[in-house]
Amino acid sequence: MENTTTAKKILIIEDEVILLDLLTKKLSREGYEVKTAQNGKEGMLMMAKEVPDLVLTDIVMPEKNGFAVIAEMKQSELLKNVPIIIISNSGQPVDFDKARGLGVFDWLIKTEFDPQKVVEKVKQVLTRASQ
Amino acid sequence: MKNQNFSATNNQEFEEVAKTLIRRDFELNRIKEKQESDLVELDRIAKMLVRRDLEISRLQEQREAELREIEANASDLEETKAALMNILNDVEEERKKAEAERDKTLIIIKNFADGLLLIELGTIVLFNPQASEFFALAEGEAVGKKVNQFVGQPLGNILELTQKKDRQVFRQEFTINDNLILEVSIVCVGGANLCSGGQLVILHDITREKVIERLKTEFVSIAAHQLRTPLSAIKWTLSMLAGGEVGKITNDQKELLDKTYRSNERMIGLVNDLLNTARIEEGKFLAKLIKHDFIKIVNEIVIPFGKEVEKKGLLFEYQKPAEAAPSVEVDAEKISLAIQNILDNSLHYTKTGGIKVSLTFDKQPNEFLLTVADSGMGISQKEQLRIFSKFFRASSAVKMETEGSGLGLFIAKNIVEAHGGKIWFESEEGKGTTLYFTLPAGGLAGKRFK
Repeated sequence: MENTTTAKKILIIEDEVILLDLLTKKLSREGYEVKTAQNGKEGMLMMAKEVPDLVLTDIVMPEKNGFAVIAEMKQSELLKNVPIIIISNSGQPVDFDKARGLGVFDWLIKTEFDPQKVVEKVKQVLTRASQ
Repeated sequence: MKNQNFSATNNQEFEEVAKTLIRRDFELNRIKEKQESDLVELDRIAKMLVRRDLEISRLQEQREAELREIEANASDLEETKAALMNILNDVEEERKKAEAERDKTLIIIKNFADGLLLIELGTIVLFNPQASEFFALAEGEAVGKKVNQFVGQPLGNILELTQKKDRQVFRQEFTINDNLILEVSIVCVGGANLCSGGQLVILHDITREKVIERLKTEFVSIAAHQLRTPLSAIKWTLSMLAGGEVGKITNDQKELLDKTYRSNERMIGLVNDLLNTARIEEGKFLAKLIKHDFIKIVNEIVIPFGKEVEKKGLLFEYQKPAEAAPSVEVDAEKISLAIQNILDNSLHYTKTGGIKVSLTFDKQPNEFLLTVADSGMGISQKEQLRIFSKFFRASSAVKMETEGSGLGLFIAKNIVEAHGGKIWFESEEGKGTTLYFTLPAGGLAGKRFK
């Protein structure tokens, strides 16, 4: 990202370390400031310290799952407008409908996306959110 | 004077004799007359006796005739009695047979694994022990009761079906509680729609099947989901490596990485097929249906597909409606998957010739028709019925290609049908296959998966 003054902050919540690493590498290289958490509880603590510009979260995780994270964010004045992209393999159609109802921007199924596509989606969502 | 005296005396005697004679004559006459009248009387009596004799002999003859008749009647009666006895014996035998049959039927009904109820004119007339067990209701608490006495109870919900206009039910599922799921069928006894002999309600316990089915589906779903995580890691790693994001790579290395990537994609495809099949069976397949431009959805799949076909050296043709068509309510991702599966299947088995895809819209009956015609290997007549079955692969296809899960068309069919569409095909071995599917436009005509 050519934006040198204020790099956009992205929080990734994902319990699968290898995926977390790959995404961090990919997004950092794109110029984003990436923070990571390995479960929902950790993710919420991170957001309490600093409000991110975008959240990428898995759904099935220990401690606190992705839906609980989203629900808590929607309750918080500070976090309710932060765009959310779900990255998960466990999506059931009912979950997609539920996520859409919660105002989630996108749902990426990991096996169907390359990290490059994730980057494109992140760019797209951040542009949409800043408009 | 003596003579005179004499003469006078004689005269007196003569007179006396004459008088006597006259008296005798009278007497004789009287006797004669009496005899004559007696004779007349005798004659009358004799005649009367003759008449009596005649009368008696006539009566005798009559009596004899009557006796003969009675005798004849008696033997007739004897015969009738014997015949009746025979009939009675037969009836008795039949009755015994019928009783034996009834006992047999009762034993079957009492020991039948399915619950059985017979409803006649809205009243329960038979309630077997299995039905008692299902509803924790003694036979005596059910038999003789009206169907509507059970409203609000699980039994009542089932019995309500017997009062519906369509009086027969085929395998409708009912969840009684967490541990009991019944499959209910109702059949008319005597005359398909009149139900003159009542309605037989058959309750088949499918709890175990359901549990096994759920476990199997859950197993596939979890297994598939668990497989997807490492597959994503492999996919992402290979993609970054091949993209030179973690250091420069040679062409040979890139080629190997690309091949591995494609193998991994195939694996992902198989896992997705399994996952989709499990979801279809779980009934959790379709997301909310949203209005879409169907022509656009088809274009997005068919245009890149055409390039793939041409890359294989085959001919490709695509026809689509020239005018705008109404929108359709679909789960776009799933309907795309169905189209993709149909196209992939066609390309997979076409080695020469080409593929023609055409999309048309018919105002009457307001539906789209997608046709995919190929000049591939086709499918033999005897295997045609199974083309949409799960895990089915044509024997000719197996010989040619080992790849393929046999789930693609099963999934496609389920998606199309869940959108209210129809899917079918025509095929000739060695000449090719044409597959058709329709999709109703303007609101959802079809049913959704639960």
